[in-house]
Amino acid sequence: MQSFFQTLVSGLSFGAVYALVALGFSLVYRTMGLVNFAHGAVLMIGAYVASTFYLSARLPFAVAVPTAMVVTGAVGLVIERVLRPLENKDFDLMLIGTIGAGTVLEAAAILIWSSSGRGVSSPVQTSPLNVAGVRIPAYDLLVIAVTAVAMVALTLFLQRTKQGAAMQAVAMDHEAATAVGIHVGRSNAISFAIGAALAALAGALVGPMLYVSPTMGDSLGIDGFAAAILGGFGSVPGAIVGGLGIGVIGSFAAQWFQGYSDLVTFVVFTVLVMIKPTGIFGERTVNRA
Amino acid sequence: MSGKQRYGLGAAVAVTAAVLTAAACSAPGASSSPAASGSGGGSGSAAAGPIKIAVVDAQSGSNSDLGQFEWRGVSLAVKQANAAGGVNGRKIQLTLYDDQGDPTVGTELARKLASDGDVAMFGTAESAVTVAMGPILKSEKIPNITSGQSTALTALKSPYLFLNGPTGLTYDTTLAKYVVTTKGYKKIAMLTNNDSYGAGEDKAFTAALQSLGVTPLMSKVVPADQTNMTPALNAIRGINPQVLFIGAEEAQSGLIVKQARALGMTAVIAEGAPAGTPLYMSTAGAANANGTIVSSPYLGNDANAAAQKFAAAYTEAYGSAPELHGAKAYDGAEIMISALQACHACTGLDLANAIRAVHYSGLLGNFAYDSTGVGIFATAIGVITDGKIKPVS
Repeated sequence: MQSFFQTLVSGLSFGAVYALVALGFSLVYRTMGLVNFAHGAVLMIGAYVASTFYLSARLPFAVAVPTAMVVTGAVGLVIERVLRPLENKDFDLMLIGTIGAGTVLEAAAILIWSSSGRGVSSPVQTSPLNVAGVRIPAYDLLVIAVTAVAMVALTLFLQRTKQGAAMQAVAMDHEAATAVGIHVGRSNAISFAIGAALAALAGALVGPMLYVSPTMGDSLGIDGFAAAILGGFGSVPGAIVGGLGIGVIGSFAAQWFQGYSDLVTFVVFTVLVMIKPTGIFGERTVNRA
Repeated sequence: MSGKQRYGLGAAVAVTAAVLTAAACSAPGASSSPAASGSGGGSGSAAAGPIKIAVVDAQSGSNSDLGQFEWRGVSLAVKQANAAGGVNGRKIQLTLYDDQGDPTVGTELARKLASDGDVAMFGTAESAVTVAMGPILKSEKIPNITSGQSTALTALKSPYLFLNGPTGLTYDTTLAKYVVTTKGYKKIAMLTNNDSYGAGEDKAFTAALQSLGVTPLMSKVVPADQTNMTPALNAIRGINPQVLFIGAEEAQSGLIVKQARALGMTAVIAEGAPAGTPLYMSTAGAANANGTIVSSPYLGNDANAAAQKFAAAYTEAYGSAPELHGAKAYDGAEIMISALQACHACTGLDLANAIRAVHYSGLLGNFAYDSTGVGIFATAIGVITDGKIKPVS
């Protein structure tokens, strides 16, 4: 039983990171109907920026992370600006554009920080909590707490603010939104910036759990994308549930199927999506770009 | 479409085209200087112009750090040789090709080398890529000194293939002997990954233990791109081993140790070459890496006078200290240069035979190649203490 709960705890810790990645995917999708394939690379940039502020500039971690979110949010704005001419015109070219943006970001990271990865020391140095033999690293609890706060903040932003309502209006009918005076381009830009900031938050938090490298966004991006689909693409609570779900499934698959854990995880994912194609929270499909 | 929109669309298309063009160009170090005479297609001596040698390594993707280390080690040796007058008055010209750590890309590059006029090749750093390239290099008669260490390389039985370090079997035999015979540990667990390196380590260390009459208590395998190793470690923690052997690349090894210590595991960590690198130590964290037993032919930059001299030159050239991969590549390049000098810049099978005839005392030890292309058969044991490897006397 102790082994079961230890595996569950590790799954939830990584699942919290996947959830943050999924939140960024979902936000851009629900606003623009676009899957941002550069999201993993944006996460990587956020991780590098945060680790640079934390390790090189020696800023406190609590300062380095929001700073990285702002910087990476600006990167999101640049990507959106490059893609803007294609909005509502050529969906396929926009998708390819996001792939190209991801490649450019990875190459930029190698140029700036070199191809070698870097370890990031944990900002929480306290010993793991020991609950009936199950060891829970304090930093993992911090990651889960930050993810919960991010979800609540994003929900409040979308439901309680004028800009959030405008973004939802654009998602529902961009022509009608334009007719009532909502600036669709600005709405999309804010969506991209917030999505990039969420990716930076995920990257900054996962740095001390893993290590920071130019390719770190590849697998995290795929897991986060799967989490967004599992939870219901476009759904904020779905991203959280999907992220935790992928984390826990992956954790138990690793324990029981060892080298085949990735295979098993995505077979389970495929079966779940076949049973419920719209994902757990099943939001309606957005179909525009 | 307005002019502004056309401009934006044009910019997007231009960016996409630039990206695709960059992706298509897999030879970032390609040079436009005159081609060396003599291709890899035959044997004999070349006449004039620079001696063109390819360096094929990952410059992008997850193994690009290894590719960078190798490129730097080779470049340093060649730069020094050229500064000393080159080979028979001819300069050596390196061309860097990015194999992306992908065997398919590697085979495409292998076909390209002869037409590019490269008479020899350094690389790759990944055994799987080199194994894929081996048959083509053999048919093109291009001698190749690789940083791979898998026994699958020697199984190719190519007279053109040489290793710049020991095989994995040597690393693991030395390590197992130290752990079991010297230290007296018998309760040993193994955690390896499922790529060609990890699978080779699993096989080699298990065989080395069995030759000493020890069977691993538990052997777990994780995917090579796995980041959460806690489930596998949790199972290993349950049997409370004295030693945890790791068979994975640098970053993943560091992560394994970090997560093992977070679970409260106190087992001694034992590993081959990856544990001797800065990336392992930075990923694991200095405190977690402390006490790791390392089997390596290069126990740091302070191990001896030759290592110190190499480290000083490398640091001056690149602004960072070298590690095992750079040292291996440097030794390999020195051997190639010695062979070229001995045979007067010959090519093909003549060059391969000249490499095999070289007896070289290098950073990793004394090289003398056998018929399988292995030139060094010993590693030493070190223990990581305060972020550095201390040789075990």
